[in-house]
Amino acid sequence: MNLLDDIRPKIKALEAIPTVPAIVQPLASILQLPADQVDVERVVELVSYDSTIAAQCLRMSNSPLFGRRNTETVRGAVLALGLKRVEAILLGCCLNRIVPPDKWALDAVAFWRHSLACALVSRKMATLIRYPDPEKAYLAGLLHDMGILVNTLACTEEYRKCIQAARDGHVALHRAEQEHLGFTHCQSGKMLAEHWNFSVDVMEVVEFHHEVVAAPASRPLVSMIHLSDLLCRLRDLGYGYYEALGVDLAGERAWAALVEHYPALAKMDLARLTIDIDGAMDDIAAVVDAVFKPQQFAVR
Amino acid sequence: MLETGTARAVAKPDAEDLRDPAYLKIRDVIYQISGIYFPEEKLYLLASRCARRMSAVKVNTPGEYLEQLTVRGSREAELRLLLNEITIGETYMFRSTPQLDALRSVILPQILPAKTALGFKRLRLWSAGCSTGEEPYTLAMFLLEESAKLLAGWSFDILATDLNDNSLTAAKAGIYGEYALRSTSETLRRKYFKPYDDKRLQASDQLKSIIRFDRVNLNDDSKMTFLKGMDLIFCCNVLIYFDLASKRKVMQHFYSNLLPGGYLFLGHAESLYQVDDRFRLVHFPGSIGYWKTPVGYTGGGKP
Repeated sequence: MNLLDDIRPKIKALEAIPTVPAIVQPLASILQLPADQVDVERVVELVSYDSTIAAQCLRMSNSPLFGRRNTETVRGAVLALGLKRVEAILLGCCLNRIVPPDKWALDAVAFWRHSLACALVSRKMATLIRYPDPEKAYLAGLLHDMGILVNTLACTEEYRKCIQAARDGHVALHRAEQEHLGFTHCQSGKMLAEHWNFSVDVMEVVEFHHEVVAAPASRPLVSMIHLSDLLCRLRDLGYGYYEALGVDLAGERAWAALVEHYPALAKMDLARLTIDIDGAMDDIAAVVDAVFKPQQFAVR
Repeated sequence: MLETGTARAVAKPDAEDLRDPAYLKIRDVIYQISGIYFPEEKLYLLASRCARRMSAVKVNTPGEYLEQLTVRGSREAELRLLLNEITIGETYMFRSTPQLDALRSVILPQILPAKTALGFKRLRLWSAGCSTGEEPYTLAMFLLEESAKLLAGWSFDILATDLNDNSLTAAKAGIYGEYALRSTSETLRRKYFKPYDDKRLQASDQLKSIIRFDRVNLNDDSKMTFLKGMDLIFCCNVLIYFDLASKRKVMQHFYSNLLPGGYLFLGHAESLYQVDDRFRLVHFPGSIGYWKTPVGYTGGGKP
């Protein structure tokens, strides 16, 4: 029996969760428009439509990680954050909602902390190496592990066992998944990304962030997320358990792939970057805790 | 361990005093001997450390004190006493558990089979800048705890060095109070320490037996050249006040002191960026190590 085959129909069934399509569809159409054609008031309206998401945008725009502006209105928050960040927040929230509190196999707060930290580190790395679209890096970082949510929903019990095995053996999650489920969150995440019509590059990040060299079209972005993901897991912003990792980042193939496109990377002080991440940990934790309130989840 | 922070009350020299060119000359003397450099904005620290020695030897001006450091017959002894004042630090045992986790879960499982294959069953660690001994005793406890598990059948020793005589004396005595032992579990305290007085514990002979203490100036080429065959070097928060040229020199030594496949650990916020590019930066959960790669290494960590 192949569990992965069982997952596809379950992803289709996600449509039944009411908040998801209502938000994702108009959002996807905004994503595709050139910036000068976007009706900002429509976005504000969309955000205001959902009180939780509106509150989250306000909290984000008042966070030091996003420049900390004293915004009190949804409109102010949307303008302060910018369209791309609003979209990222919306997608994050939609994803958040597809998992009911009692179904979480992983510590929900640890998961969102990892996703948000990866988004922030990716954006920082993108800016440092002059990648043209740092907000895309942010979005891709935020969504790269969405397959974990699919696994959680589609096979909750098996997944709990799988995560326990990863935790006990201190091994990477995707390795434990391969062994216990026969597939990884990369494959299941790709199915959801396809189903939701994600852009090709974000889809490649979801599918190949543990196997950079297989990414056909968007290798620099995938490489960047791969490295950010590793950095986060190495700085106490992983999946909430100890992974026995020793990583020579500059010896990684992802690094070589990225340096090829962005020679500035060869000059990056990776030790300093991780020290900076340590310094930003409290801010990251504060945003996550404010946005994804722990009490909403059954934290295991 | 070198600390010029604010943990201790220091006499504050006034700004007028700091302009005395004698301080710049004292700075140069210190730099030549030890590699420790006080930039302009940290001169007040140097001045405050000198102030203590000045009152001890009863001189009133930096100029007179400079004379003590350069032309008087007692200059070597006085230099040493001044260095003792400068290189004082406070730390505690098990301060850096992520480093120990990395040793246990990644580094030793990597090093041990490689050494076994070459017929070696001996591990050498070096705590360079060991201050009052907290780090080498922590490492000694770690190794002894692993000697029934990972290190079964292995022998090991720790070299612990510092520039500061007073620190070394304290390290050899191995007497610690609550501050130094705050992260040491009750089990380990009972196993590796004995009561000294009603507030302090003393390291057991077993713990002491695997550590060799020695005074080493990291800037002293003749001595550094002979410290070979290290598997792991710990040099935490020592180089932060060294200038680039001295750091580079010390790193060259560390690189040749290490065996291929060995690791160097620095303090939490230290980076070797643009100091030395022969070491590979390796990330571990919560810590960073510098790796002298084995012959034939071509890159590629664990994804």
